[in-house]
Amino acid sequence: MYDVVDYVLNTTFNLGAAGWVVSLISYLMIATVLFLVAPLQMLFLTYYERRLIARMQDRVGPNRVGPEGMFQPVADAVKMFTKEDIIPAAADKWVHLLAPLVVVAPTMFMFAVLPWGPGMTPIDMHIGLLFFFAVSSISAVGLMMAGWASYNKFSLLGAMRAVAQMVSYEIPAMLSLLAIVMITGSLSIVDIVQWQGGLFISSSDVAGVPNWGLGWFVFNPVGFLAFAAFFIAALAEGERTPFDIPEADSEIVAGYMTEYSGMKFGLFFLAQYVLNFLLCAITAVIFFGAWQGPGVNELYALGITPDNPDGNGWFNVLAGVLGAFYFLFKTYAFFFVMVWIRGAFPRLRVDQLMDFGWKYLIPLTLVNVFSAAIWVGFNNWGANEGFGFAEPLGDLGRWAVAFVLTLAINIAAYIVMTRIYGETRRVTFDEQLADTAGLPS
Amino acid sequence: MTIQFERGKVVVIDRGARKLRVGQGMLKGMAVVWHHWLKSFQKLDNFSKTAGVFTVEYPDERIKLPEAYRNMPILLYDDETGQELCTACFQCQRVCPPQVIHINQARNPETGKAIPAAAEFIIEYDACMSCGFCAEVCPFDSIKMDHEFELSTEDHAELTMNKAQLSRPVSYYERIAPTFWAEVKASAYKKLQNSVKRRVDLIGIAPQMVEKVKAMRAAAAESEATEAAPSSAPTKPSAAETSPATDKAAKLAAIRAANAAKQDAGNGGTSTPEAPAGDDKAAKLAAIRAANAAKKAAESGEGSASVAPAAPEAPAGDDKAARLAAIRAANAAKKAKDEQENS
Ligand code: SF4
Ligand code: SF4
Repeated sequence: MYDVVDYVLNTTFNLGAAGWVVSLISYLMIATVLFLVAPLQMLFLTYYERRLIARMQDRVGPNRVGPEGMFQPVADAVKMFTKEDIIPAAADKWVHLLAPLVVVAPTMFMFAVLPWGPGMTPIDMHIGLLFFFAVSSISAVGLMMAGWASYNKFSLLGAMRAVAQMVSYEIPAMLSLLAIVMITGSLSIVDIVQWQGGLFISSSDVAGVPNWGLGWFVFNPVGFLAFAAFFIAALAEGERTPFDIPEADSEIVAGYMTEYSGMKFGLFFLAQYVLNFLLCAITAVIFFGAWQGPGVNELYALGITPDNPDGNGWFNVLAGVLGAFYFLFKTYAFFFVMVWIRGAFPRLRVDQLMDFGWKYLIPLTLVNVFSAAIWVGFNNWGANEGFGFAEPLGDLGRWAVAFVLTLAINIAAYIVMTRIYGETRRVTFDEQLADTAGLPS
Repeated sequence: MTIQFERGKVVVIDRGARKLRVGQGMLKGMAVVWHHWLKSFQKLDNFSKTAGVFTVEYPDERIKLPEAYRNMPILLYDDETGQELCTACFQCQRVCPPQVIHINQARNPETGKAIPAAAEFIIEYDACMSCGFCAEVCPFDSIKMDHEFELSTEDHAELTMNKAQLSRPVSYYERIAPTFWAEVKASAYKKLQNSVKRRVDLIGIAPQMVEKVKAMRAAAAESEATEAAPSSAPTKPSAAETSPATDKAAKLAAIRAANAAKQDAGNGGTSTPEAPAGDDKAAKLAAIRAANAAKKAAESGEGSASVAPAAPEAPAGDDKAARLAAIRAANAAKKAKDEQENS
C-alpha cells in the first residue's frame, strides 16, 4: 500500500509528499477498509453459515429477505440495534459494559497482520504470528469479565468454561505452530506466506521447483499434522461445535452472553464471527499459503514492488485482486469445514474436551515438533550443523528422505496416540452396567 | 453379525464396514453430512430416500391437502337453486363438544310455525376444535369440514361466522373432497328434494344466493307467463308436458290444484280423490282430475271468483314452482274459456 500511495502521490501527481505523510495516508486507508471489512465479514458469515447448515440438514435456510435471503443479516442487525439494552440490577455495571468491548477490540487488532495479497499485509511485523495469537487470547479476559459482571450462575459457568477451554487449547495450537515456525525460521506472517511458493514441494526446501504458489505447508507431513491439530484447536478457540461448551445453549442458556441483550449481545456475536473468520483466515495463511496460488506471483512481479519500483500499478491491483480472491476462497472453504463439523458432531463434555486437548493433541503436536526438527535438519542443515552425510542426496533426495521419515513418524504417532487415547476413553458394556447397577465390575 | 435363534432360524444383520479405528468413525460421520449437503440441491420427491430438500416453501408452493383434511365446518347449498341442505335439525349443535354452533330455526311468516330451515346459523370458529363431529353427525350432509386454514385475523370477532360466511356451494365441496361427496351425493340430494317437496316455499336459501334466485324466479315467471297466454287451447297435453322433468313438483302442483278446485267447488258433490303421488302417471292423472274438478266448479256457476286466486298466488319458489304456476295459469285460462262458452 505504501508503494502504491507513494507512487500515486509522488510520481503521478508529483506532490513530493514526505515519507510520514505517505505512511499516514496509507495506514488510514487500510484501517478504514479493515474496519469496514470486519463487520461485513460477520454479516456474510452468519448468512453463509445458516444457509450451509440448513442444506446439511436437508432444509433450505433463510431465503425470504431479498434475493435468496441475502439481506437476512441486515434485518438481523436492525433487530439487534433496536432491541432494548438490559443490565441486570445486581450486575457490575461498568464491567458489564466494558466486557463486549474487550472481546471485540482484539479481533479488530488481529486484522493488522493478516496478509490479503502480495504486498497487502497491513503491517508486516517480525512477530506477526505471535502478535496474532497473543492478541486473540485477550478476548478470554473479556469473556471472564462478562461472566463475572453479569451476576448470573449461567454466565459465570460459561465464562469459566470459556477460559478453561481457551487455556487448554492455546497450547496445542502453539505447539503445532511451533513446528511451522521451526521450518520457516521466522515468526513473520509475510515470511511464512513467502515460504509456501512452489508446486507441492516448497521452493524454499528444494531450489528450482516451479513456483506456482502451491508449495503449501499442508502438502508435507509435518504441516499436515500441524494443520489438523491447529484446526481442531481453532474450533475450540472460536467456540465452534463440537467445542461450543462455553455457550452450550442446551445446558447453560447462552453462557457468558446470558445477561446481554441488544447491541451488546450483538458485539459478542460480532466478535465471535469475526474471530471465526480470522481463525479460518490464519489457517489459510499458515497452512494453505494465504494468497499464494497460480498467477499471483507472476502478476505481482510486474507491479510496483520495492525490488521493481518502475512497475505498472495496475499489476499490483490485479495481483491484489487475485490474491485476495484466493485468500478469501480458502478462508470460506475453512469456514465451510467448520460448519460441516458443526453439522456432523455433537458437543463434547468439558472433561472430554480437556482430555482431548491435554492427553491427545499436546503429545501429538510434540511429536510433530520432533518431525519438524527432522525436516529442518534434512532440508536446511549442512555439514556445519552435522548433516554433511545427507549432502550427496541432493536437494530433492534430502527432501524425499525428510518426507518419508516425517510421514512415518507422524502416522505412527497418530495411530499409537489414537489407540491409547481410544482405550482410555472406551467404556465397556460391563463397566457401564456396573456403573448403573452399582455393582463391582 | 449373525444372530442364531433356536429352531434353526438365522438372522444375518449387515453392520456395514469393519470396525472403525483411528478416527474413521468421525470421517464417516462427516461423509454422511457431506452426502446430505450434496443432495440438498435436489428436491426430495421420493420419500423412500433420506437425503434432499423436502421443504415445501409454503406461501409460494402448497401441498394438495388430502380429502379427509378437516379444519373448520362450512354449510353447503345447491349451486343452482341456492337451497340449503340444512334443515335445522340441531344434531350438530347438540354434538358439538365446545358448543360453538348456534342455530336459529326459521319460522313460517304466515303461520309462525317452525319450519325445517335455519334462519341464522352461527359457528364460533375461534373456539371450534375442528373435531369434525358436526360433519359426522349431520343427517343431511349439510355441514362439512373445509380445507381453508388461513383464518388468522387481528379482530377476534371476525372469527364468529354467520350463515352467509359459512355457506358454500356444493360444487366447492365437491372440488375439495370429490370422493367423499360422490359417496353421499345421491342421498343428500334426495333428502334435499324431499324437503323441497314438503315445503317448497320455505326451504332455506343461502344468503349469498338470495338475490340471484330472486332474479332467476322473476325471469322464469315472465317467460312462463308469456308462454301461458297462447297455450290456452288443449289442456291435457300441456299438463302432461310439464311433468317429465320435475314430477314431484308437478304432482305437488296437481294435488294443490285439486284441493283448490275442491274448495272452490265447495259442496260440489263429486269426490276428488287425493293423488297418491306414486309416479308420473299418477301425477298426470291428478292433474287431469284437478282440471276436471275446476271445470265442474266453473260449470256450477260459482267459479267466477276462482280466476283470481290462481295466477297471482304463484309463489315463485323456483323453476319447479314456476311450472306449477304455469299449470295453474293454464287451468285458470281453461276455466275462463269454459265460462265464456257457457255464457
Ligand atoms: S368441528 Fe367440532 S367443535 Fe367445530 S363446530 Fe363441528 S362439532 Fe363443533
Ligand atoms: S347442519 Fe346438519 S346437523 Fe346441523 S342443523 Fe343443519 S341439517 Fe342438522
